[in-house]
Amino acid sequence: MSRDAILGRVREALSVKTDAHVREVAKKSSHSLPVLANGPDGRTQAVKEFLPFVGESLEDHIAAFKVLSDKLQTEFIVVPTIDSARQTLDELRQKHQWERVGIHDHELVQSCVDQLPVEFLNTSSNYDAHALEKCDVGISGCDALIAQTASALVTNHSAGGRALSVLPPHHVVVADASQMVTTMADGFAIIREKHHEKWPSFISFITGPSRTADIERVLVLGAHGPKKLTIIMISE
Amino acid sequence: MSQSTNPTSQFQTDANRVTADVDRRSFLRSSLRGYQTTRNATQDRFLNYESARIAAGDAKWEAIENLDVYLAQFADKLEARGATVHWCSDSEEAREAILDIIKQHDAKSVIKSKCMTTEEIHLNDLLEKEGFEVVESDLGEFIVQLRDEAPYHFVFPAMHLKKEEINTLFQEKLKSINTDDPEELTMVAREVLRQKYLSADIGISGANFGVAETGMISITENEGNARLTTSLPKVHIALMGIEKIIPRLEDLALMLPMLATAGTGQHLTCYNSQLGGPRQDDEIDGPVEMHVVLLDNHRTRLLADPEQRDALRCIRCGACLNVCPIFKNVGGHTYGTTYQGPIGSVITPHLRGLKDWKHLSHSSSLCGACSETCPVKIDLHHHLLRNRRDAAGKGQGGLAEKTLMLGFTIVMRRPWLYRLTGRLGKLGHVLTKPIHGTRIDPFYAWKKTRDLDDPAKQSFKQYWKSRK
Repeated sequence: MSRDAILGRVREALSVKTDAHVREVAKKSSHSLPVLANGPDGRTQAVKEFLPFVGESLEDHIAAFKVLSDKLQTEFIVVPTIDSARQTLDELRQKHQWERVGIHDHELVQSCVDQLPVEFLNTSSNYDAHALEKCDVGISGCDALIAQTASALVTNHSAGGRALSVLPPHHVVVADASQMVTTMADGFAIIREKHHEKWPSFISFITGPSRTADIERVLVLGAHGPKKLTIIMISE
Repeated sequence: MSQSTNPTSQFQTDANRVTADVDRRSFLRSSLRGYQTTRNATQDRFLNYESARIAAGDAKWEAIENLDVYLAQFADKLEARGATVHWCSDSEEAREAILDIIKQHDAKSVIKSKCMTTEEIHLNDLLEKEGFEVVESDLGEFIVQLRDEAPYHFVFPAMHLKKEEINTLFQEKLKSINTDDPEELTMVAREVLRQKYLSADIGISGANFGVAETGMISITENEGNARLTTSLPKVHIALMGIEKIIPRLEDLALMLPMLATAGTGQHLTCYNSQLGGPRQDDEIDGPVEMHVVLLDNHRTRLLADPEQRDALRCIRCGACLNVCPIFKNVGGHTYGTTYQGPIGSVITPHLRGLKDWKHLSHSSSLCGACSETCPVKIDLHHHLLRNRRDAAGKGQGGLAEKTLMLGFTIVMRRPWLYRLTGRLGKLGHVLTKPIHGTRIDPFYAWKKTRDLDDPAKQSFKQYWKSRK
């Protein structure tokens, strides 16, 4: 079979060891640099030690998340309580004239939207993609917020499937301050902890509203996905 | 661009044409300057970018040097979660595998997100010939597809086009409104493509990484088109070169920021998604079938080269193109390859044959900017030299080069002949002065782009003697 043929060719090719000089060049540098141990642990450590520093405390993380969010044109709103999150959502509803709202079965999402005077589409049971496309906004939860990159980490469990967070023109994430972590590696660790026995088929780091610069490098938001991304974080 | 002519002469003809187009070249340069500024700012935020490069390079070394183990693990994990893995030795096998899947589902329309590997196997040509509607959903790819062109750059496919040209194109092909505002043009494409996602039967994507440990592919994008392509159609096909493997899920936490920083200058691209299998029994949406098509297509030949297997570590960020003085002058189409720029010049002779593609090893000033910018530290410019060496070693230098080198050897081995040649050369230079710059000058072609100064009155040897 092709599998055996290809793996056989790979093994045969690898029977000759990599040229020592070439292997060395990839490690060398003109500066004397800290180099971490080879292997996965070294690389996870590299993410902490070499990538941008965003502080240690929650306050630092929130500040870093805010700075990058502004750059990305993500609307990042920190509110004290679930009640104030409700209020914020109602203000957004009025401002953007939401009529149809996509949601899913998620505790935090449900308790924030229960009083919104709109028509809901719930993606936690069979739903029609055309109807979801007609929604003004999709509101979802997430698994973590990543301070180093200002990303919301989602899976199809925490975000109501694959489409709710990408098909409507506006995506709102509701999160809790306890979900803020430092790096993407910390984010993966959370998913691993929750789901290692059965991985979700979809994981995504969402970092700002959909964008393109394919025409003359001019930044345009909302290329195919949402034109707006709002992250509401409840701090208490 | 055309494949029918000899690649070497096509390169020369296109290079001459493009370098004469000063307007287009300065347009290209100014856009690459913008990239450089953004990238520098993002790189400066790293605590230690150089060390991060070494760590990222290490992840890919580990994957490539244990590719048999990781590739098998990747496929087993994916299959355990209900995906089908197809192992394809060459373009033809991959095309057939994909065509079979599409036919089995009696599909009519196919939506694609960006995937250079499908360009490599010329998938669109086949599918269109078979009567399927194939739509590229990445904006840049959508534009070049409408123009019936190959991508200009494997990260920025339409970077050579001005907004006015895209306006004309959209008016002609999409009957769109007259606008050269990039935002309005983007919205035109958005509207056209929205409906395609909802109606397409099959979604085809590429993969930036294949995570061996968990059996997932990782897709990096900004527009959301890959997410829609892999969410809405009933069947998802991912085409992936066998070298895209990385060992562990957490490795992505390093590789994804490195790819974004080097690729576009962003600290992270907008969507970085990991897909492992079709919709699972406790999930509500997503494709009911997922097929991962693994492609060798002579990658194992490159792997067998103990020096140049280094190049299989490439994560296709495109940074080496952006800094390359040759790319900036000859442009992307001149290469005539799927992968342009320095990385393309290194790997194409291995993937498509040294004999036809060895000229690419010379499309380099050997300045080393490519090696310096590479986020995984591939020794690109030395690989170009190695390809030159290999071409010469196999006697593929051509008659002119061989004759020249033979003459050179004869002269250099005989000091008296060397001195004589020097004097004759000087004399020849003086005597031929009246015809310099004209077509009857035997060195006309060489001098066309170079100045030949008058030789020094005193040779170095004479000078050295006079000092003693």
